[in-house]
Amino acid sequence: MNAVAVRMFDADLLKLRKRRGTLAWVLVLALAPLVILYTVKAIQHSSTPTQNGPAGGTPGFTDGLRLLCLFFGPLAAVLVGVEAGTGDASAGVFRDLVVTGRSRVALFASRVPAALAVCWTVMLIGYGIILLGTYSLAGNLPTPDAALVLNGLAFTLMATGVVCVVAVGFASLTTSKAASITALIAWQLVASPLIANISSLGSARDGVLSQAIAHFSPVHVSDRGGNVAMGQGTGVLVILVWVALFLALGAWRTRTMDT
Amino acid sequence: MSGPAVSPAHDPPGPPRSGPAIQTTGLTKRFGERTAVDGVDLVVPRGSAFGFLGPNGAGKTTMIRMLLGLTHASSGQMSLLGHPVPADRAVALQRVGAIVEDPRFHPYLSGRENLSIIAAARSPAAAARIDPALQRVGLRERADEKVKGYSLGMRQRLGVARCLLADPLLLILDEPTNGLDPGGIQEFREMIRAMVEQEGRTVFISSHLLDEVEKICDAAAIVDRGKVITQGPIAELAEGEARRELIVGVDDPDRAITVLQGLQQVREARRSDEGLRVVLAGGPEMAAEVNSQLVSAGLRVMRLEPVRHSLEQRFLEVTSRLDETPEEVRT
Repeated sequence: MNAVAVRMFDADLLKLRKRRGTLAWVLVLALAPLVILYTVKAIQHSSTPTQNGPAGGTPGFTDGLRLLCLFFGPLAAVLVGVEAGTGDASAGVFRDLVVTGRSRVALFASRVPAALAVCWTVMLIGYGIILLGTYSLAGNLPTPDAALVLNGLAFTLMATGVVCVVAVGFASLTTSKAASITALIAWQLVASPLIANISSLGSARDGVLSQAIAHFSPVHVSDRGGNVAMGQGTGVLVILVWVALFLALGAWRTRTMDT
Repeated sequence: MSGPAVSPAHDPPGPPRSGPAIQTTGLTKRFGERTAVDGVDLVVPRGSAFGFLGPNGAGKTTMIRMLLGLTHASSGQMSLLGHPVPADRAVALQRVGAIVEDPRFHPYLSGRENLSIIAAARSPAAAARIDPALQRVGLRERADEKVKGYSLGMRQRLGVARCLLADPLLLILDEPTNGLDPGGIQEFREMIRAMVEQEGRTVFISSHLLDEVEKICDAAAIVDRGKVITQGPIAELAEGEARRELIVGVDDPDRAITVLQGLQQVREARRSDEGLRVVLAGGPEMAAEVNSQLVSAGLRVMRLEPVRHSLEQRFLEVTSRLDETPEEVRT
């Protein structure tokens, strides 16, 4: 990145960092379910150890990763991406940024790394909680090896990063925070699983982003999280198309809209 | 709004040093069937305060938005600081500061943080101008408070500070005194005049407040229904180009009217509360001839002075004649 890009990245990061309300919701969505998961499982194990195994170990790692990467992490990523995509427009300052003479596409582009930086920081904290729960609450259970831990980290960053980038593009396209959050969460929580479970749609279901992402999970994904079989190449292609499409739409809208 | 003066504006290496600050030719903006800006030809000279005067809905803000690249023109040409826009928009806007409608900010950030965001999108030198700009508009003490706690007047000042980050050769201000109290308006006027007279900047002010434009600006354009009706120096605009009126006080008004009506230099002569109201057929130099003729006719002339029109009178005059052709209005 050149000096201008770094300055603009810093500026966008500042806007996201200081958005305390959104950031609090992002932290709650991404981290609270993990804390609750390990706490409840630990309590269950301590009260009835014969019926409930330890909260950690490889099973605990799998549960935590699924929760972070396929359920609550993407929702948190949507909040970050939408905030980055609509923050300037909803505050009415986008026109003041345009008046600086800086290219509109550059103004759009600087939102993406800033959103990823915030999203990934939160996800890294979440992943830290998973590792803490996995190893400290393992009891007599086997624990993930280094390769699985690294794969899990990469998957966490990929799964949430892709959703975050798509959210930036989508929100920049609609320029409405409420509409973007509603549409993306409805897609993520309702439409995607629904489509994935309509077997008559056949290979058309390959186009559902969450299915393509789940395909790369290093741990077993539940039926609800991913039941569409697809090839590695198809999965990569679907993810790239989603990212490229929404980045292009967001950039186009930012470049052409009246302010 | 006081404090240390920002250094006089000098042209950057890029923009040309000559040519008007703003020039438009046939600039038009249509929204479907409605024409918001209709073939505007405008020339704003450098180093002046120029008023863009018109009633609400006249097309002032649309015109400004086109100049700044916030919306596309339907047709016509425009240039800022000698650079064609939108072709050379990035270079042209390097030294332009603007407030469009009410100044908006991220309310959850401080004044200083809001400025730093704009500075990041400008040149590296812009960040170093944040403190001087805040001091210039009198906000340095409260720069670290969140903008959501600022009054409207403080936001206007912060908007001006944001403009100053560009070290602007040209400031474009849309209704800049909205929300300012009388003291703030006075300070604002002084700041604008200092920018023009001491620092050589050009200030383009859009306003529906005639009194404001008359007090701040050197020249103005009157716009209505998307068209520029007339433009020029304030004094000329107020007087009109062809109308020259005198108030004449004489010892025998009835005989004076008879004399005046016989003079080719006089278009019209009638009684008024202030004395005789005389409309000259030509320029103000004819007043001397009128005086001479009255004295020659044995009348004692006790008063002879030009009628001073306000810009408001001229504005109401031209905007009430919009159904006539533009040529008729200009006279």
